[in-house]
Amino acid sequence: MPGGVEQVLTLQSAEALRPRWNWQAIITLAVLAIVGFLVILPLVFLVEESLNTGDPMAFPPQAYGIANYIAIFDEDIRVLWNTLIIAVMATVMAILIGFVLAWILTRTNVPGRALLERLMELPYYMTPLVGALAWAVIAGPKSGFVNQLWKRVGGGGDLVDIYGHFGIAWVMALFEGTVAFVMISAAMKSMDPALEESAQVMGASKLRTTLTVTLPLVMPGVLGATLFVFAEMLGSFAAALVIGIPARIYVITTAIWDSTLAYPPDYGRASAMGLALFVVMFGMLTFYRRMIRSGSYATITGKAFRPRAMDMGRLAWLLFGVCCLYIFLAVVLPIAALLFTSLQRFATVVLSQAQFTLANYQTALSLGPVRTALVNSLTLGFGVASVGVLVMALLVWIIYRSQFVGRGAVEYLVMFPQAVPRLVFGLALLWAWLNIPIPIYGTLWLLALAYFTVMLPLGVRTLAGVVLQIDKSLEECARVCGAGWVYQMRTVTLPLLKPGVIAAWLLIFMACVRELGASVFLMGPNAKVIAPSIVNAFASSGTELTAAMALIQTFTVIVALVILFRLTRGVTGEMT
Amino acid sequence: MNETRIEVKDLVVRYGEQVAVNGVSFAVGRGEHLTLLGPSGCGKTTTLRAIAGLEQPSSGRISIDGQAMYDAAERRNVPTEQRGVSMVFQSYAVWPHMTVFDNVAYGLRVRKQSPADIAANVERALDLVQMRHLASRPASRLSGGQQQRVALARAVAFSPTVVLFDEPLSNLDAKLRAEMRVELRELQRRLGVTSVYVTHDQEEALAISDRVIVMNVGVIEQIGTPEEIYNRPRSRFVADFVGSANLIKGKLSGEGLFAAEGGAVLKVNAPHKPRGTETEVAVRTAYIGLAPQPGDNQVAGTVRQRLFHGDFVQYVVDSALGPLIVRRPPTNLLEEGAPVTLSFSPEHTVLLQEQGA
Repeated sequence: MPGGVEQVLTLQSAEALRPRWNWQAIITLAVLAIVGFLVILPLVFLVEESLNTGDPMAFPPQAYGIANYIAIFDEDIRVLWNTLIIAVMATVMAILIGFVLAWILTRTNVPGRALLERLMELPYYMTPLVGALAWAVIAGPKSGFVNQLWKRVGGGGDLVDIYGHFGIAWVMALFEGTVAFVMISAAMKSMDPALEESAQVMGASKLRTTLTVTLPLVMPGVLGATLFVFAEMLGSFAAALVIGIPARIYVITTAIWDSTLAYPPDYGRASAMGLALFVVMFGMLTFYRRMIRSGSYATITGKAFRPRAMDMGRLAWLLFGVCCLYIFLAVVLPIAALLFTSLQRFATVVLSQAQFTLANYQTALSLGPVRTALVNSLTLGFGVASVGVLVMALLVWIIYRSQFVGRGAVEYLVMFPQAVPRLVFGLALLWAWLNIPIPIYGTLWLLALAYFTVMLPLGVRTLAGVVLQIDKSLEECARVCGAGWVYQMRTVTLPLLKPGVIAAWLLIFMACVRELGASVFLMGPNAKVIAPSIVNAFASSGTELTAAMALIQTFTVIVALVILFRLTRGVTGEMT
Repeated sequence: MNETRIEVKDLVVRYGEQVAVNGVSFAVGRGEHLTLLGPSGCGKTTTLRAIAGLEQPSSGRISIDGQAMYDAAERRNVPTEQRGVSMVFQSYAVWPHMTVFDNVAYGLRVRKQSPADIAANVERALDLVQMRHLASRPASRLSGGQQQRVALARAVAFSPTVVLFDEPLSNLDAKLRAEMRVELRELQRRLGVTSVYVTHDQEEALAISDRVIVMNVGVIEQIGTPEEIYNRPRSRFVADFVGSANLIKGKLSGEGLFAAEGGAVLKVNAPHKPRGTETEVAVRTAYIGLAPQPGDNQVAGTVRQRLFHGDFVQYVVDSALGPLIVRRPPTNLLEEGAPVTLSFSPEHTVLLQEQGA
């Protein structure tokens, strides 16, 4: 462009004329500082503690070294082995489930496809904790329902035993399968049907088309899902806690938890293990994102196609059955088993021996600690969701609508907790707040802070999804029509944002009520919350009471979920 | 049209390091319909948005009815809502959470009109676009064409004196677009508003404007009536972008004479004062005849290819000037290989300014 240099020079002097929005910069910096404090500081504490080779309870450490890391390989090699075996088994099963379901629901004319697709979201909301409890009731040795029935029909010994490597992997796979399903079906849906059609036009048979075109194109999506699911499995906690600990099978997450329970608590070891887990998971997830973003797969456009459904004839009903079986195993059977258990004095499937009672619910709702825990969880849910949505809305506005230069950094910070396993984050917060001279350790305030921090990615992504959907010109048009900023916000922006804000609120509320990983570390004797209390009850009281508690929690989540579905027709963005 | 309604002077808009609009000046008269035409990224939409106050310029001045809306020197920037202009957006921006009526009534409510006036004005606006029967329908249940009409009704409902159009027809299919073009022109005449219209569709620009501004890479290439732009393009860019033209290379060889590279000498017409260093002339494909005419430039040629388009026939004719494209009415079809005499009047043989001049 001629005269480009002079032009730029004159422009820079013109730039100086622009009004400076200092308040905007100040607010943004303040938000950046607060979020940075919440997100990064605990991890700094964690790194320091993992290098502590002196007295594990001393802060700051008296001696530094990498002894804690070496000890993992010396003493906990069995734990690493368990983690690997279980994660591999669970990943294989979850991908298998996800792939089969995705193929059925995107590529065949299975009856009731739309409804089935909605139902596939349910296992995700069931939570692995509830699932693990239910499967302990269903397939535990001796008293498990399956084994009770087996004995009734004359079988000897136990038919099934969930307390093993496979059992843990099974429960994990069942509830992570739906994540695999969402990811793989997205890959299948984003394929232009014309790619297959052109193969057929060239004379390729259906089988040949599948082998030479369909599979190679879907494979990257499947690989990506495998990587993602495997990383999740390495950091998964609930199933390993409920099923692994009674079976004395420790994986890395439960080992971290266990070392903080020892006396004196070995925070150094726990920190080292937590950081190692974080680094591995972070590496895998980064690799996964790189792979997704690299765009070497030109088929994966943002556009969603509805690929041509294959006509399966009568076989369609068999496929329908496969889908129903999954829903049955992951949702119906666990809920039914828990319900059945919770309504009895002593859990049995033999109806003639069953004594039905509502006493467990009565106990759950009247027993001091349990009731407090439930009330605390609901309070935290309401509080964190309400305050959180406001702060997150501000963050979303800074990241996506403001002109502030630091907004990229804000986005990175806000999304960071996603990369840290909940459990490790809980541990980091625990250690940080034990040593920060603000006395909120052991109170609900710390839990509230922790919940807010770990919910940041979820809330910001949900709100951002809505904000980005609102075409900027909808707001601009209001201004052109003569509306001031306040009038425009009231009549156009907020009404359009409303469904998104409500959805974000409900998602955060649900996530708070279910929160386990961070809560186990941060709950104090006077600040109990429901999910860890359920785990404690399972370890110390009967399964009947535990089942009642789990169902009360599930019911709360379901109510929120029903409202959510009513409002938004499904928010699945949370999963990927 | 002697009274100036909008005046844009030395407007510069920058996005970071990029200069989107690089010193643009023009004026729009009262009741005039002006179109900014250019390819995507030429700065036309940015200019329009700067007039609306939706884009903050880096320097220059924009005034409406003699009042400065933006002035870099005075550090003055009137917010959008106080500029009193109206706008139709490319995406229509019809609010999905309101009914058609509420959409159209928005600007009236902002202006605190009485409910009776609002009802009357909304009705009048909806009548203009034949949408009155859909007043109570939620805007989320409208087709593209219907949304476009609602956006139009909303833009004129509060009787603005200036209406800005940002590619309002680009999301409609070809047939509907042609219909809406006719309606828009009609609407403008009836309301007597001043309008600035942005489009990348040269046919649309020529059809509905009093004057057209052709823009490219942030600067104005040419300003003129549609006939001027079409008949006397100033630069290669305008000749090429607006309508279809043959470009012939060569050099000036005397007063009004141009020696083409193939050896032929053409009588040419220069809309600007020739510098003597020009290297190209443009001849519209529609202005070339295939039979000799007295007084014309004439070159012998052979039909190489014939494409039948229906409304016209396009011939590619090989000649001493190189292959030329000729569009004729679909009568007296010529066969491929037929010998012809290309003839075009010197008036339509337009000498182009050099690039970058």
